[in-house]
Amino acid sequence: MTAIQPPAPAAQERIERLDRIWAERPGFTGWLTTTDHKRIGLMYVAASLVFFALGGAEALIMRTQLAGPGRHVVGPSTYDQLLTMHGITMIFLFVIPLSIGGFGNYLVPLMIGSRDMAFPRMNALSFWLFLGSGILLYASLLLHEAPNAGWFNYVPLASRRFDPGPNIDFYTLALILNGVSSTAAAANFLVTIAKLRAPGMSLNRIPLFCFAILATSFSLVFALPALTADLVFLELDRKLGFHFFDAARGGDPLLWQDLFWIFGHPEVYIIVLPAFGIATSIIPTFTRRKMAAFPLVALAELLVAFIGFGVWVHHMFATGLPQTTLIFFAAASLIIVIPSGIQIFAWCMTLVDGTPEFKTPLLFIVGFIIFFVFGGLSGITLAAVPFDQQVTDTYYVVAHFHYVIWGAAVFPVLGGLYYWFPKVTGRMYHERLGQATFWLIFAGTNITFFPMHISGMLGMPRRVWTYPARMGWGPENLASTIGAFILASGLVLLAANLVVSRFRGAPASADPFGGGTLEWSTSSPPPAYNFAVIPVVTSAYPCWDADDRAADARRLAAGQLVLEHGHETTTTTPVDGHLDDVLAMPAESIWPVTLAAVCTVGLALVISSHYVTALVSVAVAAAVLAAWHAVEPRSAA
Amino acid sequence: MSILAGHRARPNGWYGMVVLIAAEGALFGTFIGTYVYLSFHAPAWPPDGIAAPSATAPLVLSLVLVASTVPMALAVRAGRRDGVAAAIGWVALAFVVQAVYLGFQIHLYVDDLARFKPQTDAYGSIYFALLGLHHVHVAAGLLLDLWLFLRLPRGFTPYRRTALSAIALYWYFVAVAGLAVTATILSATW
Repeated sequence: MTAIQPPAPAAQERIERLDRIWAERPGFTGWLTTTDHKRIGLMYVAASLVFFALGGAEALIMRTQLAGPGRHVVGPSTYDQLLTMHGITMIFLFVIPLSIGGFGNYLVPLMIGSRDMAFPRMNALSFWLFLGSGILLYASLLLHEAPNAGWFNYVPLASRRFDPGPNIDFYTLALILNGVSSTAAAANFLVTIAKLRAPGMSLNRIPLFCFAILATSFSLVFALPALTADLVFLELDRKLGFHFFDAARGGDPLLWQDLFWIFGHPEVYIIVLPAFGIATSIIPTFTRRKMAAFPLVALAELLVAFIGFGVWVHHMFATGLPQTTLIFFAAASLIIVIPSGIQIFAWCMTLVDGTPEFKTPLLFIVGFIIFFVFGGLSGITLAAVPFDQQVTDTYYVVAHFHYVIWGAAVFPVLGGLYYWFPKVTGRMYHERLGQATFWLIFAGTNITFFPMHISGMLGMPRRVWTYPARMGWGPENLASTIGAFILASGLVLLAANLVVSRFRGAPASADPFGGGTLEWSTSSPPPAYNFAVIPVVTSAYPCWDADDRAADARRLAAGQLVLEHGHETTTTTPVDGHLDDVLAMPAESIWPVTLAAVCTVGLALVISSHYVTALVSVAVAAAVLAAWHAVEPRSAA
Repeated sequence: MSILAGHRARPNGWYGMVVLIAAEGALFGTFIGTYVYLSFHAPAWPPDGIAAPSATAPLVLSLVLVASTVPMALAVRAGRRDGVAAAIGWVALAFVVQAVYLGFQIHLYVDDLARFKPQTDAYGSIYFALLGLHHVHVAAGLLLDLWLFLRLPRGFTPYRRTALSAIALYWYFVAVAGLAVTATILSATW
């Protein structure tokens, strides 16, 4: 709304001091050692978009293979690897790292008025571990030994007897690494949002995006251990001959499914909650109105994450569990409609009640609401046990979860890429091209995924590498393939728009859209220390409180809450947001990237059965940790 | 500033450890849940040919581990008063007890391995996996103690004081987890 005024001379001096204190090493090594949440967030964005391109290429190869009956673009074993890698990539290497790692890292400290995350070095470690897990997975694809039992990797197919190669070992160990990375990130977000908020930001003034990240982080902390345990059990079975999943020796294959979905269903909400958060950021900005039912939406976000833990058996309706169990979980799956509905009505009411301006980011949010309602409705049909048992493992399910995960979880992320692009780069994207791109992607999505409902009901099972002509699935599949290429061309336009605008776009002001949250109160791109003065907050949309921001500028001139003597930020009390302490923050460090490299190499050694050398890497990792923690953040006082 | 709090909240490192413990608790919960799940499916638990675990040694040992949290708590108290020597002394006492505990446990583990193997059947798999999980956590705690011995002699800083209280918190968790693991393992005897 208001451009940043040229600061008074006294303020300018303080800003220069902050610039010196927060400067990081320049060049490539600066990126390796950085602990700046914004640079880490950008690395997450860059890496996850590369994985997105890879996962998209896999999808296009599969769609080309399936375009008509009896085609032979790739063989069945390659197809299995492609479909598994597509699933793993999109979930573990694209959506979660982009929305939580990328958007979360870049935005949470800016939105809560902090100068960094609570544990900056662990933040860097999260990123490098994530990158290590991605490199491990794609190394397996280069070796033609990629995971090939589907993204949920059911035993006994994934056991050593039926899958003797290293394929599944890459899956288990890379995902354990990925899980450690996500747990560390979640812990970081929880403590950051609990402790590092700007003075005055009590619980009820936390931006809804941060509430979404908070709910997601809670889910991650409690859901990932189930996956980790499951993966450890599978690896013990495969490498050392344990019998967790071996029915002949007292184990149970369904144990894998239970543990996987105890993680896997909360995971769905882990994917979609940050997208909700992005929607609740974009809608108020472009409707010039605060979110309707703000506290209800915050509670609904937390409730979705919570109920998400009670619905995992709806992935297992066709496994022969007792009827009572199925009814309980079908009911639980229907209850989750309530908090989802609260949010949908709140978004719609905000749109109806405000004065919406349909720029590209808001268009993507509208598309998201449409897809979420549609995918939610097909989800309700799947929560009905008799129907589910008919269409389980058909393309109907593929259609449903692509509407939810692609349409509902990724659309806001794409909208978010446009929305925060000016903040991150200091330049505007091309608006007309952005809107045209939205329509292309929107159409492509429907043309790709809608026909899958039909092919699924015609009985086409998922994960088949080809099908005979007499099944009559040809037209639907051809439509899906055409749609996939339309979708891909839309994504290419999106990338082109952002890349060209990065260099040629019109310069963006600090607040080009009139956003309400604190990230818009600092310059575009923000300085390394985010805010020249720690803002003091009196509402949930502090950037719309012009008096408060003017008071910030006065405090900068007076030197209050500038913290210009060290690498510092403030902490506040978790509930009321009272100013509590000034905290010395650790600066850049080479150790996180080193530790991640050691861990990745160690796991590669385990995959190739070099156990003794792998033990050596554990010792090296311990030494690296000791060296890391020998450098203590020092307070200036 | 007019909005200063009356008293200070706990340091970030302490909160971080609480979150880690939540995740670790979920991990132990999953292992224990798996033990129960597999036992429900088995006709005999432990299966025929494997003797039920003896109660005395595991019970005594887990009480010893619980007792070792007392010197850890005293070390934290000493840390608040900047008592470097006292803190190191208490951690050292705890370290000795914990190390002896782990030594005994490894001895029992090897003994068990002579009687039956994780490769024997699912009971052996979860038995050794669950105990192994806890022993790894004790070993990690010992490494954390060693780090304290490296850093504390140069005196307390806010960073080290937070580290000491976080590590003590970790040990409280490991002791409670030890009780839970022992109770789970011994559930096969009744």
